[in-house]
Amino acid sequence: MNRTEKHQREPLIHITRRADIPLAKAWLIRLAAIVSALIVCSLLIVAITNYNPIEVFVKMAEGSLGSPRKLMFLLQELSMLLCISVAVTPAFKMKFWNLGAEGQVLVGGLASAACMFYAKDSIPNALLIFLMLAAGIASGMIWALIPAVFKSVWGTNESLFTLMMNYVAMQLVAFFIMVWVPNGSNVMGIINMNSQNGWLPDLFGQKYLINIIIVFILTVVMFIYLKYSKQGYEISVVGGSQNTARYIGIDVKKVIIRTMLISGAICGLAGFLLVSGTNHTISKELAGGMGFTAIMVSWLAKFNPLLMIVTSFLIVFLQRGAGEIATAFRLNTSVADIITGIIIFFIIGCEFFINYKINFRTSKERREAKQ
Amino acid sequence: MATASIELKDISKRFGRILANDKVCLTAYSGEILALLGENGSGKTTLMNMISGIYYPDEGQILINGEEAVIRSPKEAFDYGIGMIHQHFKLVDIFSAAENIVLGLNEHRRYNLKEIKARVSEIIEKYGFELDPSKKIYDMSVSEKQTVEIIKVLYRGADILILDEPTAVLTLQEIQKLFEILRRMRDDGKTIIIITHKLQEVLELSDRVTVLRKGRYIGTVDTASTSESELTEMMVGKKISLNITRTEPNNPTDRLTVSGLECIDRDGRKVIDGVSFTARSGEILGIAGIAGSGQRELLEAIAGLQHIQNGSVVYHDPKTGIDEELRGKSPIQIRELGVRLSFVPEDRLGMGLVGNMDIIDNMMLRSYKRGRSMFVERKGPKDLANTIIEQLEVVTPSAETPVRKLSGGNVQKVLVGREISASPTVLMAAYPVRGLDINSSYAIYNLLNDQKKNGASVIFVGEDLDVLVELCDRIMVIGSGRIMGILDGRTASKNEIGFLMTKSQHGGPAE
Amino acid sequence: MKKLICAVLAFVLLLALVACGEAAPQDDKKVQSIDEVEKTVASAVKKVSKEEVKIGLICLHDENSTYDNNFIQALKDAQAELGLSNDQVLIKTGINEDDACLKAAQEFVDAGCNIIFADSFGHETYMIQAAKEFPDVQFCHATGTKAQISGVPNYHTAFADIYEGRFLAGVAAGMKLQEMIDSGKITADKAVIGYIGAFDYAEVVSGMTSFFLGARYICNDATMKVTYTNSWFDIAKEKEAALNLINSGCVLISQHADSEGAPKACEEKGVPNVAYNISTISMGPNTAIISSKINWTPYFKMIINAALEGGTIPTDFCGTMKDGYVELTELNTAVAAEGTQAKLDEVKAKLISGELEVYDTKTFTVNGQELTTYKADIVDNGDFVPDSEAVKNGVFTESSDRSAPYFDIKYIDGISE
Repeated sequence: MNRTEKHQREPLIHITRRADIPLAKAWLIRLAAIVSALIVCSLLIVAITNYNPIEVFVKMAEGSLGSPRKLMFLLQELSMLLCISVAVTPAFKMKFWNLGAEGQVLVGGLASAACMFYAKDSIPNALLIFLMLAAGIASGMIWALIPAVFKSVWGTNESLFTLMMNYVAMQLVAFFIMVWVPNGSNVMGIINMNSQNGWLPDLFGQKYLINIIIVFILTVVMFIYLKYSKQGYEISVVGGSQNTARYIGIDVKKVIIRTMLISGAICGLAGFLLVSGTNHTISKELAGGMGFTAIMVSWLAKFNPLLMIVTSFLIVFLQRGAGEIATAFRLNTSVADIITGIIIFFIIGCEFFINYKINFRTSKERREAKQ
Repeated sequence: MATASIELKDISKRFGRILANDKVCLTAYSGEILALLGENGSGKTTLMNMISGIYYPDEGQILINGEEAVIRSPKEAFDYGIGMIHQHFKLVDIFSAAENIVLGLNEHRRYNLKEIKARVSEIIEKYGFELDPSKKIYDMSVSEKQTVEIIKVLYRGADILILDEPTAVLTLQEIQKLFEILRRMRDDGKTIIIITHKLQEVLELSDRVTVLRKGRYIGTVDTASTSESELTEMMVGKKISLNITRTEPNNPTDRLTVSGLECIDRDGRKVIDGVSFTARSGEILGIAGIAGSGQRELLEAIAGLQHIQNGSVVYHDPKTGIDEELRGKSPIQIRELGVRLSFVPEDRLGMGLVGNMDIIDNMMLRSYKRGRSMFVERKGPKDLANTIIEQLEVVTPSAETPVRKLSGGNVQKVLVGREISASPTVLMAAYPVRGLDINSSYAIYNLLNDQKKNGASVIFVGEDLDVLVELCDRIMVIGSGRIMGILDGRTASKNEIGFLMTKSQHGGPAE
Repeated sequence: MKKLICAVLAFVLLLALVACGEAAPQDDKKVQSIDEVEKTVASAVKKVSKEEVKIGLICLHDENSTYDNNFIQALKDAQAELGLSNDQVLIKTGINEDDACLKAAQEFVDAGCNIIFADSFGHETYMIQAAKEFPDVQFCHATGTKAQISGVPNYHTAFADIYEGRFLAGVAAGMKLQEMIDSGKITADKAVIGYIGAFDYAEVVSGMTSFFLGARYICNDATMKVTYTNSWFDIAKEKEAALNLINSGCVLISQHADSEGAPKACEEKGVPNVAYNISTISMGPNTAIISSKINWTPYFKMIINAALEGGTIPTDFCGTMKDGYVELTELNTAVAAEGTQAKLDEVKAKLISGELEVYDTKTFTVNGQELTTYKADIVDNGDFVPDSEAVKNGVFTESSDRSAPYFDIKYIDGISE
């Protein structure tokens, strides 16, 4: 052998992909990530606020789950985030990077609000609600259809396109509010406040229950659609390999357009629910960034709608908890956001350790290599 | 003789179980052009990558100007004066030629584009390149980009230039121009190693030829004293008996007639240029050729995946006796005609299968649409998956394992298994044993033979000539999208095939 | 599938047309002026002990917004003066003008708040909803317009005669402009003020007009250029707007938008700035002159005391300068013109005594004409129809019939976009 010793020096650390990991170990890693996130947060809390971190965490949990009303708020916010996550999932599973959920929700909400504003109490509530639903879904679909057609016909970059569509939607909302409320500060206020026409009714005295039920049904339907339907299968194939899809004769363009229509329809539905079932108004903040948070929810759940219930719970739990500690300890909301940021960072980061293994060069290996 | 500017002694490199280079030796002197000749997969590129610092050899020694060299990275290779021009250019599109040339060069002086351009122009003049240093890469033709790559290594002071298949992307005139420049560089005292599998070019350009075959060093000859047939024989080797069973075709009848087929690629280049042949039932038709001669496009055109510019593909239905024109039909339409056409594409995970899906879902690819229900039926595919796992001895934890986690051979078994499960009347397989070990390869040969016995018309695209001559009933050689000849598999020799394969030149077959 | 979509779309369009057609019937009801409508009578506040009193503040943004910060600091001051603990004064920031406001109010009620205050215009309808849901809790709001007509006895609105403060701030600006003219730094025709407004909206228009009148009270040559950001809080846009105005020749900047964008841009360019809500001297030590602001501390004290004593909270309250609701922040003598403080004191005394009226119709013209009559939309019932006469005895009576400003004339002569 002609090699000299220095040639075979291995790097100190090298990263290999894990073939498989036992489920228990995966969850152990996740648990460790949460624990370390809490430790880092605790250090931060002590360093900048001098509060007892345990107290802060308890308050956080209380803020999310502390009372039946808070629980209801949590469920409502969870359901909206879940709804949008379910909406972006088919597109993402198809590797169509739809960053336009925000805009699709907005136009859906805008169309619903428009029905509400123009109809006032001229038509029966049930008809108006149906009208709003249809208009919301249809506009969400249109907003999703435009980038889908551009992508499938001209190969436009869908991420940029959908992102830009968000801004168009926002300005559209601002424009219509200006038309509806002239000389205002671009605030719509509650629509049909007295007649409550176009408002989703309470169910068992609970304002948000219909929203929640609709979204949970939708989630299950989406799970079944993706996993067991032929169209869901086509989405997986197109997402897995467009060439393979072509190879077995799937019309890729058609699948892209169809899937984006579904995505847009659900976003439109989310817009409708936010207007009719929650806010009873329209503003540029209707989606409030959920169109982007939803991507994280969907991704964390590995595009499984049922798992998204867990991941969206996690996000909403943290958000609501953060709001609570901001009030309880008079912290700026930014501090609360930093804490949730750290926790989410750790949770996402731990997926790396589940997928990859880090090997350190040991002296034993070195000896073996020499022989 | 003078000291060799570069000398390789017993270089070996292993990738997993595959031995890519087995004790390869090579010597090149300054002021000469050395051709490194070999078929696809003979280990030429691996060897050159070791010289240019991309790989590090497992065994062996590299001497530069007589002294032992340790090359651990492309940068160290540069320090030794070695420059490689890869097949795929590594250029930044939005930069100009001059900017690309100095990119990554860590010079301890002020960045002065004007001065750089002057030095680039100097090189251009010296060797007679044609290039505008200010031109942006995205405005350049392939040949110009290659020029940039060559100047890049010259600018860095390379004395040893390695060119990996430099002519593959060039037109005839461009090739002539390149050769002139290479000769000028040789006369300037540079050492030039050119990787190729085109015999004519070797004979025209080089001073000496080193031949590799299946990772092994075969020998080095002076170009002046060798001939095309000697080089062919060195390249393809003596016939090795593989003991692949070959039965007599059973009552062959015409199954598929391709006539006057023409396909063009995105740039409007003809990739299939007037191909006509007939595939018969009960026989294996082999297709031989240098990689990228149009094999893939031909199979895809038959399968309905390539747009056919001209010509026709006619299927003779054995049951009804009706002739069906397949041109212009999608894979689904072809299937709906009752044509049982199975296709094992070259890129298994990229085309035939979906890597992230499990074996069952991959089985469903062909059959998921069956039935009127809007839901997929998984029972049938599950049974099929288990049958294939059992019969083809697929090594997998379960049928629910994503196929990307399987080894290459097992992936191939899954794909071939699925494609033959439909009892095809035409089975097309592109490089079905590529990357497979001996046992898996034989398993695949047996499967193809079974289909032949069942009366299917099997079209087999292969790269190993030994396999082709033992397995196939007829062998069609294609080059540059044209048929170079159709030989009888029982009488054809490897030399004959090798000669036809390498005979092609740009612009059509040499007469 | 496609057919279905087409059918649905067609149906929707059809229904939308029908709906819009039907929506037309306008009530022929006579437009009622603010004097004619039936006004809400405030309910008595439930008396609680000092330990039981609890107030919740709902803010649109957080302390980074000068507007919200003014409320937060005022409430903290009131807390300190009344000796309440942190548990008795809860603050939620970043509450959007939608269902989030209602939720925040409900959570405050659950936490035991007796009084809940929301600080943004868009919170109003949600506050009214909450007030209806919890009649025992008092809901207060700035800058609401609907309390007088809402019929909800535990819902109140509040604001202050800030136009007088703006006028004073304008006086300080006018002093500076006059100084520039007198020192020969600019000619009289170059005395252009740049003004950044958030929205083209009564509160903003009233603020800018009174500011301008104040400036012209001193420097008769002053003119003003206005630009809008269409956002209450947008650092980048406000900064950009300020820079644009400066580049187009404005020699002094003021703003009604809530970020530090404009003051900082002014400091960068060395252009004097008059601000609103909080003192900006720390942001622009070399350019900030003065700020006008509403002092909310007395109001917070008043509503908390109402709970402690079992009194009533006025349905629609408008704080006066005399009672300390309208204030000027510390004058930056390094920047302000000489004699500014003395002039301010003098004008302030005149305003308090009533000797000087900000909107004296003799001091300005609209399209070259003196304003003799103007109907403002004071009754905010969603019809956007001007309903009440605002010019009385030669004065535009801002904030007298409703605390929220209603001077929305765009523009008096001298102001342009």
